[in-house]
Amino acid sequence: MAIKFEQVNFEYPSFDGYNFSALKDINLEIAEKGEFITLIGETGSGKSTLVQHMNALIRPTTGSVTIYGIKIEKDTKKKGKVKLNPLRQRVGLVFQFPEYQLFEETVLKDIIFGPKNFGVKESVAIERAKQVIKHVGLDEEYLKRSPFNLSGGEKKRVSIAGILAMEPDILVLDEPTSGLDPKGRDDLLKLFMGIHNDLNKTVIIITHDMNTVYKYASRVLVMNEGHLVYDGLPQELFSKENIKSWNLDIPDIITITRQLEDKLDVNFDRQPHTIQDLFELVKEVI
Amino acid sequence: MKNIIIGQYLPGTSFLYKMDPRSKIIALMILMISTFILKDVTHILIMLGVVLLILKIGGIPIARIARGLKPIMILLLFTFTFQIIFIKTGTLIFDAELTLTVFTLPLMIFIILFWYLTRRYIKFKFLYLLITAFGILTMLALYTPGSVLSSSTLEVYGDGLSGAFFIMVRLIIIVTLSTILTLTTKPTDLNLGLEKILKPLSIIRINAEEIAMIISIALRYIPTLLDEANKIMLAQASRGVDFTEGKLKDKVMQIISLLVPMFIISFKRSDDLANAMEARSFVPGKRRTRLHTLSWHNLDTTVIVFCIFIFISAITVRVMF
Repeated sequence: MAIKFEQVNFEYPSFDGYNFSALKDINLEIAEKGEFITLIGETGSGKSTLVQHMNALIRPTTGSVTIYGIKIEKDTKKKGKVKLNPLRQRVGLVFQFPEYQLFEETVLKDIIFGPKNFGVKESVAIERAKQVIKHVGLDEEYLKRSPFNLSGGEKKRVSIAGILAMEPDILVLDEPTSGLDPKGRDDLLKLFMGIHNDLNKTVIIITHDMNTVYKYASRVLVMNEGHLVYDGLPQELFSKENIKSWNLDIPDIITITRQLEDKLDVNFDRQPHTIQDLFELVKEVI
Repeated sequence: MKNIIIGQYLPGTSFLYKMDPRSKIIALMILMISTFILKDVTHILIMLGVVLLILKIGGIPIARIARGLKPIMILLLFTFTFQIIFIKTGTLIFDAELTLTVFTLPLMIFIILFWYLTRRYIKFKFLYLLITAFGILTMLALYTPGSVLSSSTLEVYGDGLSGAFFIMVRLIIIVTLSTILTLTTKPTDLNLGLEKILKPLSIIRINAEEIAMIISIALRYIPTLLDEANKIMLAQASRGVDFTEGKLKDKVMQIISLLVPMFIISFKRSDDLANAMEARSFVPGKRRTRLHTLSWHNLDTTVIVFCIFIFISAITVRVMF
């Protein structure tokens, strides 16, 4: 197991004494290879807090998170000795807003900033930058530009490239597709899927788009008010009754299928995954 | 970070909380001027008594005030020492020969080193410093073996002692008074009060409302920006920036990686805020009504009258005695 949460609670401290409890008794295991996980839940349900535990940016108030054999507890940092930095290279976390991390004069310098911090030689880092910038759908011309003159979507891609260049073993992305047009969103999701398939790495994505969840994920985690309320296959999730109480949507494809079943008065023998799938099913029936 | 309170407002219900911020600011100024008028130790002690009375009636814990005095402790100690050493009038109270010899010099260095190394383990750091300093002085005065390197006399005079005491009490009064104001008034109320008091300055073309607006926006955005800074630090930490360690060269890079996004985000935020204000038809300098209006009660008049009474008595005792 690459990452293991054991009875993790996390509270945001506040000055008036009433601490806000963001995570409540989380137990979770994430494998090093081969998982494509989506993390969903309404705003403020603790998704971002959960992923920030995954590379030891924040430490649990009680309980422990074990990342690649290193146990992170409340007072891990105070005891010293434990180096948390190497963990952040192995578990790469892309934040939701690229504005929080872009700061260099050129895109190139910004992308190689991460690798250089982890001791990668500059020449190697530049090579990596040239590769990852293409992966995220921009061309090499962009490396010379200033990150502040880019559009929102381009900034987002550059910030993702900055993490990809670190070559993490596990890639965690906090709403990577927000603010992107449908084409850009699909391109990026294909990129993550490619990373997952070709390199067999685990990818964790926070998203609000149920279509993404249904189409790509091999495993889905649902957060609700700080609790991890569901951990399993997306197909099973959307047939559950209490999905409405978690404020989740139904993917379009399932909605269409159900309506078709109603109209045609049939029961398809399996849940279609894509629109093509559904088309085949309908053809079979008719 | 979300619930950070700027200033040190302490919720309460005493008369200090019921007062109008305007009258509180005016009362504070009158009392401070009165304190500066006084020139005699007895009078300043009476003034201290008045301040303690205000604290007592106002229901503010003295411990809270003492905590506020902590940062100026060093300043107090300095003025106290300098007054004692340099004022050489009045009756001689105490004198001692301080001799530095070949033996006491290394001993003194040893004591200072010992203090420096052990101070982090002692709970009452300030007391420990005082004891160490006093110990060195006693040693220099009493223990004089070996050949003399240098010697000087420490003389303490009556005026020096009373002067030192006087200045210390005066400083304590000033700090306590301003702490009372910040403890019992919310920053927004303070700001509004300040705006009303500065209003007459419009005659000389100073726009009090704009100043107040600047202050209130600045205060409003401190927690927001702290929050942003925290997020930036996390984002950079996940790219391998370790803010807790690193050489000086790395430190510079770390700070740049924090400051640049910080500036960009603040500029963007202020731009957004300006647009939001304009969208709601905010025009600088135009007359507008307030959600919370200040109201002057009998209590405020009473307090101001009381303060003026103290002010007049201060002038009287200054002139008469």
